Amino acid sequence: MTTIPLASRPGRAPGAGGAARARRISARVLVGALLALYGVISVYPFLWMVSAAFKNQVEVVRGGHLIPHHPTVHTLVDTWNQLHFFRYFMNSLEVTALTVVLTLAVYAAAGYAFAVLDFPGRGALQKLFVALLFVPGVTVMLPIVLLENKMGILGTHMGLVLPFVNGGAPLSVLLMTGAFATVPKELRESARVDGANEFHIFTRIYLPLTRPALITVALITAIPTWNEYLLTRVSLNDESTYTLPLGLQTLAAQNVPHYNNLMAGALIVVVPVILLFLSLQRYFVNGLVGAVKG
Amino acid sequence: MLRRRTYEAVSGYLFVAPAVVLFAVMGLYTVGYGFLLSFARWNGFAPHWDWVGLQNYKDLLWQNPAYAPRLHHAAIHTLYVMVAVPLLTVLVSFPLAVLLNSAKRMQGVLRSVYFVPYVTSGIAVFFAWQYILQPDGAVNSVLSTLGMGSLAQPQGWLGNPDTALPTMIVVTVWGAVPVAMLLYLTGLQGIDRSVLEASQLDGAGWWRTNVSVVWPLVRPITSIVVLLNLRDSLQGFQTFLVMTNGGPGDHTNVLGLEAYRLAFLKDLAPTLGLASALGWILFAAALVIALVNLRVMRSKT
Repeated sequence: MTTIPLASRPGRAPGAGGAARARRISARVLVGALLALYGVISVYPFLWMVSAAFKNQVEVVRGGHLIPHHPTVHTLVDTWNQLHFFRYFMNSLEVTALTVVLTLAVYAAAGYAFAVLDFPGRGALQKLFVALLFVPGVTVMLPIVLLENKMGILGTHMGLVLPFVNGGAPLSVLLMTGAFATVPKELRESARVDGANEFHIFTRIYLPLTRPALITVALITAIPTWNEYLLTRVSLNDESTYTLPLGLQTLAAQNVPHYNNLMAGALIVVVPVILLFLSLQRYFVNGLVGAVKG
Repeated sequence: MLRRRTYEAVSGYLFVAPAVVLFAVMGLYTVGYGFLLSFARWNGFAPHWDWVGLQNYKDLLWQNPAYAPRLHHAAIHTLYVMVAVPLLTVLVSFPLAVLLNSAKRMQGVLRSVYFVPYVTSGIAVFFAWQYILQPDGAVNSVLSTLGMGSLAQPQGWLGNPDTALPTMIVVTVWGAVPVAMLLYLTGLQGIDRSVLEASQLDGAGWWRTNVSVVWPLVRPITSIVVLLNLRDSLQGFQTFLVMTNGGPGDHTNVLGLEAYRLAFLKDLAPTLGLASALGWILFAAALVIALVNLRVMRSKT
C-alpha cells in the first residue's frame, strides 16, 4: 500500500543542481495545494451543514460567514425535539442492521458456494446475480410496492429490508466470491479429512479468514441503506415507522426552510455514518483493493 | 468419489438457496410482473388490467402528445448527464489518484476526506448543496470574495434555467469521484515499478509517463468507471428528485424522474403501465451500453 511508483513522484528531475531542487520543491507544494483544494471541495457542503446547524435563526439568514459568530447548540436541541428524531434514529438503525446481517448471511453463503463448491449450474447462477446490476431500480420499484401490498408487508421495515438485501446481491456476491477464492484449498481438504462437515468448514475456517471482505460488504451495504430515500418514501406511510431520511424530508416540508434547523437535521442523519466509516475504513479500502485484484 | 460429488453438489445448492429464494421473489417475480404490466393500462386500484399491447411503448416514444414530447425533453437532459458525468468523473478522479499516490504523508487522511461525499451521499447532503447554491448562499459569496462576482447567480444556481442542469451535473460528479478515485488508486498501486522505471530511463518526464504509460495501463479501470457512471446517469434520479424535482420548469427533468412520476405521483390516472414501459426502455438502454462498453474494452486490449 505504501510503495510509491517512481514515476508518480512529480518533478523528479535528473541532476542535483539547486535549480532542480527548487523545481522539485515547488512541484511538491503545487501537488499539496491541489490535493488540499480537492479536500476542501469534498467537504465543502458538509462544512456549511455544520456551520448552519450551530447558527441561530437570525444569523443563518444573514449568511456569508462559515464560522458562526454566536455559536449555539440550541438549534440542534430544538430540531431534535421538533420531530421524533430518536424514533427515526432507532428505525434507521433497525433497518440498516437487519439489512447488513441478512446480506452477510445470505451472500457469504452464496459466495462460498460459488467460490468453493462444485455443482451443476454454478456458472449460470453466478452470471445471473452479476447481471442484476443492470436492472434499473426504478423498473422494479413499482412491482416491489405492488407485490408487498399483496403480501401485506408494505409499510413495514421488513418490506424495506428484503428488497434492500436483494438489491445488494451483485456487489456482495462478487466481493464474497472473490474473497473465498483466495483461501487455500488445502485448508478445506485437511478439515474434511478430520471429519468436519461443509457448514463447519464455512463458519470455522472460511468466515474468520475473510473478515476484511465481510466488513467491506457490511460497509457498502450499511452506507446506502442508512441514506436510502426512494423506496422508503413510497413504502412508509406511518410516521412512527419513518427512518432518518424521511424524518428529514418531513422537517423540510413542514416549515419554509429554516436552513439552520434543516442543516441540524441533516447533521443528525450523516454523523452516525461518518463515524461508522471512520472506524472501519481501513478494512473498507483493503477489501475493495482485494476485490479489484481478485 | 461419486458420493463425495453428490455431497458437494447438495451442499452447494443449500448454500445458494437463501439467495436464490430471495431473488426469485424480490427479483424474478417483480421483474416478470413489471414486464407484463408494461403491456397494460392500470391505475393500481382497478380490479383488472386493460391489455394494450405495445401501445405504452408507442405512446412514450412518439405517439401520445401528453407523454412523448416530455420524454424527448427528459431524454435530452439525460443524454447531457450521460456524456458529462462519466467524462468529468474520469477527468477529475484519474489526476487526483495520481497526485494522491505521489503524496508521501497524509495519504490516508486525504483518502478519508475525499470519501466524505460517498459516505454522506443522500438526502441530507443534497439539502446542504441546496443551501449553499441559494441566491445568498456560500457559492455566490465565495465568487464575490474572489472578485468573480459577475459569475454569481442572483436567482441561485438551481433557480436559473441555464445553470440548473450543469450545476446538477457538478453535484453528481462530486458524488461519483470518491469511488472512481479509489479504483484508480488501487490500479496505480498495482502497476509494476519496473515498467515506470523503464519509461523514465527512456527520458520520459512525469507528465509523459503518466499520459503515455500509466493511463493506458489503467484502461480497464477507466472502463469500469465509465460503465458504472453511465448506468447511474441513465437510471439515477434521487439527486434530481431531492434538489430540483425536475425544475425550474422541467429544465432538469430526467428519464428516471419521469418514470418515478408516472409510477408514484399520478394518483388515479392509469399510468402504471407507462411507468413500467419506461423502466424497460431504460433497462434496454443500459444493456446496450454495457455490451458496447464490453466490446470497446475487448477490442482495445
